[in-house]
Amino acid sequence: MAVVLGTLGWVIGMAASPDPMAGVFGLVIALIVWMILAMVSFTGGDAILLASSKAVPVTKDMHPQLFNVVEEMAIAAQLPVPKVYVINDPAPNAFATGRSPQSASIAVTAGLLGRLNRDELQGVIGHEMSHILHRDILFVTVAGVMLGAITLIAEVFLRGMFYSSMGRRYSSRGKGSGQAQAIMLLIAIVAAILAPIMATLLYFALSRKREYLADAGSARLTRYPEGLACALEKISQNTVPLSVANKVTAPMYIVNPLQKEGMKLSDLTSTHPPISERIKILRSMSGASFIDYSDAFKKTTKLTAPIPSSALTAEKPVSVRGSSSPQTSATAKSQQRSIGDIMFKTNGFSFVNCSCGLKMKIPPNFTASQVKCPRCGQVLPIS
Amino acid sequence: MFMKIFLLLIVAVALLIMFVIGIYNSLVGLRNRVANAWSQINVQLKRRHDLIPNLIETAKGYMQHERGTLEAVTNARSQAMGAKSVAESAKAEGMLGRALSKFLVTVEAYPDLKANQNFLALQEELASTENKIAFSRQAYNDEVLFYNNKIQMFPSNVVAGMFSFAKRDFFEIEDSAEKSVPKVSFGN
Amino acid sequence: MDCPACKNPMIVLELQQVEIDHCVACGGIWLDGGELELLLEDEKRGKLLIDSFKQAQSSKERLRPCPICLKKMHKINAGQENHPVIIDRCPKGHGLWFDRGELSQVLAKGTLDKDRKIIKLLAEIFDKDKCEAKNDS
Repeated sequence: MAVVLGTLGWVIGMAASPDPMAGVFGLVIALIVWMILAMVSFTGGDAILLASSKAVPVTKDMHPQLFNVVEEMAIAAQLPVPKVYVINDPAPNAFATGRSPQSASIAVTAGLLGRLNRDELQGVIGHEMSHILHRDILFVTVAGVMLGAITLIAEVFLRGMFYSSMGRRYSSRGKGSGQAQAIMLLIAIVAAILAPIMATLLYFALSRKREYLADAGSARLTRYPEGLACALEKISQNTVPLSVANKVTAPMYIVNPLQKEGMKLSDLTSTHPPISERIKILRSMSGASFIDYSDAFKKTTKLTAPIPSSALTAEKPVSVRGSSSPQTSATAKSQQRSIGDIMFKTNGFSFVNCSCGLKMKIPPNFTASQVKCPRCGQVLPIS
Repeated sequence: MFMKIFLLLIVAVALLIMFVIGIYNSLVGLRNRVANAWSQINVQLKRRHDLIPNLIETAKGYMQHERGTLEAVTNARSQAMGAKSVAESAKAEGMLGRALSKFLVTVEAYPDLKANQNFLALQEELASTENKIAFSRQAYNDEVLFYNNKIQMFPSNVVAGMFSFAKRDFFEIEDSAEKSVPKVSFGN
Repeated sequence: MDCPACKNPMIVLELQQVEIDHCVACGGIWLDGGELELLLEDEKRGKLLIDSFKQAQSSKERLRPCPICLKKMHKINAGQENHPVIIDRCPKGHGLWFDRGELSQVLAKGTLDKDRKIIKLLAEIFDKDKCEAKNDS
């Protein structure tokens, strides 16, 4: 990817001037653009990402189960407990971000919390936790930003070409170098068009590989591949696209947030492997170790699993545990309400429960210090 | 000539010492990780002990006919807390785990108790603690495996022998009943 | 969300899994889009009811802004020709606004609420006589 970026800079530089140094100059400019972008995303990337996806931090009393599951996975992965965020969006999805395992964050959507049971949630959190463990979050930041830099440079160049070509028509140039220059210009235009596509394909291939690896990691951490399989199944039934995701943030989510119903993205241009395939692999695992995942992967796809051999050699068998999920008898409606309550709480609402059974949710801009219960007339203080 | 050989020797010895120091430090690091993983298990076991009185207190009002089950849990808890040796503790914790599973199965017959918000919150905490115990055991065993491999393999085994780094034991779960502890079933 | 009628912040009431926005100051009720269907526990009947609403010919009531998108809401007659109940509907479908007592009047109409479940629930939430107090206003 760095090669694509460098070549693009060099070719554009060469096109701009016949001087051979111009190519080097272009290369340097390209690298500088990348470095500036990388620095911004490295120092504040996670904050920008969390803010752009409208994630709000939650505390343990808002959703104890989510917190417990995150803590469990942190223990299993032997990592510090990451910060937990909730995104107020009905589409079920999740992502992890941060520079290092020490400063990582995990964000889940309200839709995810509303739909999954404990085991499934654990599978998803395990997937995100292994992204953190494998430092994929840094990869996405660096590679994602490089992709951004390539796209940016190509775009600026092509636009510049478009506008300057109008003026150039009337200007005369030296004959000999003019021709070489024209050829170089043509190459540069082709490069500017091809570079973003190439970089995107590369990026997508890399991130797909990491999705599989994170699935394997989740199975190993939870020792219960079925949990993630069920979660992916439930998530795939969703048809609402996630409104806070965009092309740049899409690879960070557990499933592609932009995929719409009825629109099959081709294998090459997708950041995520097909969900059905991921489920199939997880379901055909005979144990919960990386070796089991690797075997299941080979059986399902007839390809070699994208798991580093170092992870396979130092493995001892990990047995699958039984389901531990509390099958709550709660209806979908009440689950929806409890998710709604989390969002109310994150938005600063305070809750007042009247002894008559009525529950009042008071917005933060409600000025009075007490409220009269409209049901029984009791006057209750707002805490 | 002699000077040259002497200097070479000094450099070789210095390199060797640095090499040994490097291995020693990594061994200490690993040993600390093992110790840390061990203390993590104990943190979770303590959490389990702390949760039980509240849980029993909440359940008591609803489960008057199940005094035997409740007492079994309370007794197993005090036994686990009073355990002195590691082996004793492992046995007592195993018993406590079984008593808790039995208790949680019995709870299924009491829909009123299962509707109690306070109890539900405690149950979630207990389920999570059981999971954390299981996961921290797993993590401990992973660390021990890595550490033991290191002190048995050349060249770190030489350094380990010099500074007497002892092999650590895995946390084995002694019987099959105990293995099902993390399975806190809330029933369907 | 602020009350479209008197601009005070509304509080959210929840009873038996039903959630409505309520203005303490003027006693009005806001139902988000889809919430009425949820109340009736039947999408078809809810749609039928909403489809039966007609644009009110003339109304002396002031136009109110939708609390979500702040667009001027349409005046809708949710009652009969001779006995109009004028409610407000967001043109973008964000929800419905009922002044005090209007919701029970609309639901009291005919077969929509067969077992009077919602009326009972509303009476549960709001003191019965307060709810009906402004009938025929």
